[in-house]
Amino acid sequence: MSDAFYDDDNFSDEFTPDKDLKLGVWTQLLTYARRYPKDLVLLALCAVVVGIAEISFPLVTRWVIDDIGLYGQDIDLLGYGALYGVLCVALGTAVLGFLWFGGKLRSHMSHDIRRDGFANLQRLSFAYYDERPVGWLMARMTSDCERLSNIMAWGILDLFWSFTIMLGISGAMLIMEPVLGLIILLSLPLLAIISRYFQTRILRSAREVRQTNSRITGAYNENIMGVLTSKVFVKEADNLNKFGRLTDRMHAASITNAVQAAIYLPIVLTLSALATGIALVVGGIESAWGLISTGTLIAFLTYTRHFFEPIEQLAHWFAEMQMAQASAERVISLIQAEPDIQDSQAVLDRLAQPTTRGAEPDAFNQPIERITFEGVGFRYNTGKPVLHNIDLAIQRGQSVAVVGATGGGKTTLISLLARFYEPTAGRILINDVDYRDWSLQALQSNLGVVLQSSHLFAGTIADNIRYGDLSADQDQILVAAKQAGAHDVIIAMPLGYETVIGEGGSSLSAGQKQLISFARALLADPQILIMDEATSSVDTLTEARIEQGLRALLKDRISVIIAHRLSTIRHANQIVVIDDGRIIEQGNHDELITRRGRYYHLFQQQSLSNLWQQAEPINVEQPDGI
Amino acid sequence: MHATASTHPKTPALWPLFVTISAGFRGPLLMALLAMIASFALLFTVPMITRSMLDRLTGEAPDAYLTWLQHFMPSGLSDDYALYMQLGLSGILIVLCTALAGYFVYLRGKQIAVAAEGMARRLRDTLMNHLNHLPIAFHHQADTGDLIQRCTSDIETFRVFVSGQIIEIGRAVLMLLIVTPILLSLDVTMTGVALITMPLLLLSAVLFFNRVKAMFLEVDEAEASLTTVLQENLTGIRVVRAFARQDFEAEKFGRANARFRDQNQRLMRFLGFYYGASDIVCLFQVGLILFVGAHWVLADAMTIGTLFAFITYEGMIIWPIRHMGRVLTDSGKAVVALKRMAEILSEPEESKLEQALTAPLNGQIKLDSVTFHHPGNPPVLSNLSLTIAAGETVALVGAPGAGKSTLIQLLLRLYDPQQGALWVDDFDLSQLSRKSVRAQMGVVLQESFLFAGSIADNLRIGQTQASLADMTEAVTTANLLGTIQALPNGFEALVGERGVTLSGGQRQRLAIARALLKDPAILILDDALSAVDTDTESQILTNLRRVRANRTTVIVAHRLSTVMQADRIIVLDHGEVAQIGTHETLSQTPGIYRKLCELQGQVQRDIQQSRTPEGNLL
Repeated sequence: MSDAFYDDDNFSDEFTPDKDLKLGVWTQLLTYARRYPKDLVLLALCAVVVGIAEISFPLVTRWVIDDIGLYGQDIDLLGYGALYGVLCVALGTAVLGFLWFGGKLRSHMSHDIRRDGFANLQRLSFAYYDERPVGWLMARMTSDCERLSNIMAWGILDLFWSFTIMLGISGAMLIMEPVLGLIILLSLPLLAIISRYFQTRILRSAREVRQTNSRITGAYNENIMGVLTSKVFVKEADNLNKFGRLTDRMHAASITNAVQAAIYLPIVLTLSALATGIALVVGGIESAWGLISTGTLIAFLTYTRHFFEPIEQLAHWFAEMQMAQASAERVISLIQAEPDIQDSQAVLDRLAQPTTRGAEPDAFNQPIERITFEGVGFRYNTGKPVLHNIDLAIQRGQSVAVVGATGGGKTTLISLLARFYEPTAGRILINDVDYRDWSLQALQSNLGVVLQSSHLFAGTIADNIRYGDLSADQDQILVAAKQAGAHDVIIAMPLGYETVIGEGGSSLSAGQKQLISFARALLADPQILIMDEATSSVDTLTEARIEQGLRALLKDRISVIIAHRLSTIRHANQIVVIDDGRIIEQGNHDELITRRGRYYHLFQQQSLSNLWQQAEPINVEQPDGI
Repeated sequence: MHATASTHPKTPALWPLFVTISAGFRGPLLMALLAMIASFALLFTVPMITRSMLDRLTGEAPDAYLTWLQHFMPSGLSDDYALYMQLGLSGILIVLCTALAGYFVYLRGKQIAVAAEGMARRLRDTLMNHLNHLPIAFHHQADTGDLIQRCTSDIETFRVFVSGQIIEIGRAVLMLLIVTPILLSLDVTMTGVALITMPLLLLSAVLFFNRVKAMFLEVDEAEASLTTVLQENLTGIRVVRAFARQDFEAEKFGRANARFRDQNQRLMRFLGFYYGASDIVCLFQVGLILFVGAHWVLADAMTIGTLFAFITYEGMIIWPIRHMGRVLTDSGKAVVALKRMAEILSEPEESKLEQALTAPLNGQIKLDSVTFHHPGNPPVLSNLSLTIAAGETVALVGAPGAGKSTLIQLLLRLYDPQQGALWVDDFDLSQLSRKSVRAQMGVVLQESFLFAGSIADNLRIGQTQASLADMTEAVTTANLLGTIQALPNGFEALVGERGVTLSGGQRQRLAIARALLKDPAILILDDALSAVDTDTESQILTNLRRVRANRTTVIVAHRLSTVMQADRIIVLDHGEVAQIGTHETLSQTPGIYRKLCELQGQVQRDIQQSRTPEGNLL
């Protein structure tokens, strides 16, 4: 009955419908509904009231018609009118009620599921993210949540409504005339079987439509992104051909879906007509024999038209639950997944203890003096090892540059340092204590990280820099931006620091994004600064300026830099060359150049690639030293 | 397929588009309409049959139906048996009529699906093809997300309009048209009573849904911003962790989440009031018939059967009418959607009337005083003239913005120059069809786009019929064979989101192999080796020289090691030719090129001395 009131067609793809309903999954979801007991009860109550009212209208008609025959002019029309009016208002109020409470239940449930899911996503370690694309997680958190809360709210509503109607109509029919009632009731199982059969198929082909639809969206995306390639390879016709196969499939699946629905509806109609026919024949004869009144016959005729709706609804929800079961399992698993990196019980106990040291009981009570890697090895899940036996010691005030070929393990090394992952062999010590004995918060709130692909959030540039220190004022933001060499770039934009950047910083160039995320990291005033190709897209002159400012900044910090450009690397106190997960050379620039090893080789290669970039500003400005 | 494209530049007319799109589907639409009329006519007989039988049972005089039924009954039956027979035949008739009506309902559903899905498919194909043929200038300024939205959601809106809203409107109108005469034939005054609340119902529904339209939009917006916050958090999760901002994020998400919840709830409450109130109105309407009818039955002005028929018919028509408000409001969206699609389709495609190249080119290129600027911008190329001989390998050198890439875009006829002309062999490029020109050029761009699919699929973009041997040869030249062989599925390994991740250098090499498979008369490498290390690069260049001896190659490069290997070097500066010559001559002549060489020497010395003065980064 409630189909018209909400949309239920924007779910994600990829379901594997199960044969059986797993009650456990649904019971777990039901706990979300049970947080709103009052609304749940009222929703059920409204459903029952709607059901009762709907059953009562034909009864009123029956009484009125029978009383016309029995009492003629003495009929109490006013009384029935009042009863009818009361029923009208009751039904109207109950409809308002179920939309009110159902709407609340639905929106609150999906809100709560999403809230818990989000909270857990903030705890889960990157290993979890590595296995699941963002799109997958998004689908769980948006369409799946909506779909499940729809099932929970409207499914519950329809469950109560359907049973009320079925019980009420069966009861009314059996009381009014048991034989006729029984005959009509016999058609129910048949309808139930047919409905189950069709509803399942209709939902399945609807899924096929949705899946194909998301492929079509993907195809548009790919074709628009790759339009240049298509043009230069003259692939327009091929593209259309390939796309045509997809739209053909969409066409076929949609028509299948529509035809299934178009077959199902007439079957239900005919079945219901069969019941009406039986009611007319049997009821008519009984009426002629004086066994039942005309009013009863009319009530029967009316009931046969409404009797099947609940079955259709129940069949629909049953099929829907079957289809959504996989969604439910995935959502629950997302909420319940345990992060593999979290504070140990010892740390948690310590955090729970009352403290005299103020608001941050677990903060390092002294500056980070030293980070030590002791025989650190790492593998992702069951993959082959990415790092082997890394030994490295970094003192406060030191900078370490990590260089090496792509895929050699550089980024993994800093991910371990940031405790995004934990070593699978050996250990990492902060001030000589295994960092697993500190809280995650303690380490990560002292980190400043600038990553290869700098992610910015939608909002103003100032907001993005402020992400490094939420309490920073405008001046501090300005200082950080200047230190990062971002200030000039930012004020060159029409709105300066108030420039609103799109999702993922889409409106900025890679270099601009790097500068802003660099300013963000500096604003955090971290004890450990990690830069993973932080300035790779910044021109050499700007980089040089940053470099000079940075040296003072890094004096009391630990800094770890991954870079390809020599200008960035050469001043590091310590340069670590990593290849195939092992440290193969270690020392400062001069030592490594003298050694004529891998570093020397890399240096020679790399220095040529930036020539033009270096030549261009020189061409214009001719600074000293050339 | 793109008939609508070229004629109207600014304000796209919707009607011609609709006519084009619906061509061939108006038949099914008409069929659906007729099937709907037939199904209603049949369904509406059921209450009439029931009415007659009820009247017969309550002792009224036999009506036309019962008289007609007499034809199917043996004569001389006793009154009782005649009644049983009439009841039985009526029961069968009801089932038959409904089953037949059911068939028409099915027919309607099927024909509507044929029309709606067919039109949707045509729109999808037309838009896709049109997008592929729009000039690159259009794509540069267009927002991908918006385009995709128009090609997906807007088509869906239109499809729902055809398959749902047209039918809903048709249903309500037809029902009224068919039921009203039936009701009038039964009882004129009662018909007035039965239709009395309809205008009110319709009007209030339209008014209401026009008001809540804004609310639907707010819910959509709240959902969109929730999705954005979530997406940003998930894609930026490393930043979130790196700054330990989980609480901040949870708060931000919490706000968006709560807003969506509250907007949703508010909408449901509004709908609750509307549906609750309109239910009362509808039931009041049915009650009116019941009680007025009962009064008339008492006054012998109406039979019980007629009363029953009125109640049944009322139940059939009143709910679709109530639904009209929503339907009419939603129909408005279809017009907007169609307009958004028409906007894309009215953008002119690349011209394609020029003559096609039939013979393979030799590969000579000539630019004759070419000037080009993007609309509203200063010229990128000004009065540029140069010649590249067939079979020559030429390096284009210049600062970013010097015009290197623009030159290549002009060669590919992605843009046409405002002044001057480009010639390939002896053909004026502007007189040649774009596709036939591009078919003879192999291009590798700095950002090489790979399509989702296997490596082989991507290679076959260069040549659809390429054999494994061809592909192997091409990837060998591009120095990628080893990489491919190391992949679990070799050539069949998937690349892209669901497949293996290739590094920038590997992608570039794959793109080179793809271009080589085309065996183009002119090969263009636009900064195509930037992510490849120098060793590999020189190997590839050596391979290229071997396989492409005597074929024209244009290389845009930043590395001197690449540039040095060209037959000739063209130095561009601010859209003009600054220098042309070989590496030997240019490195001896004062100018930009020599400055580059000096810089390189500086770095080399730096390496040799393995020491730099503090503070000087060069």
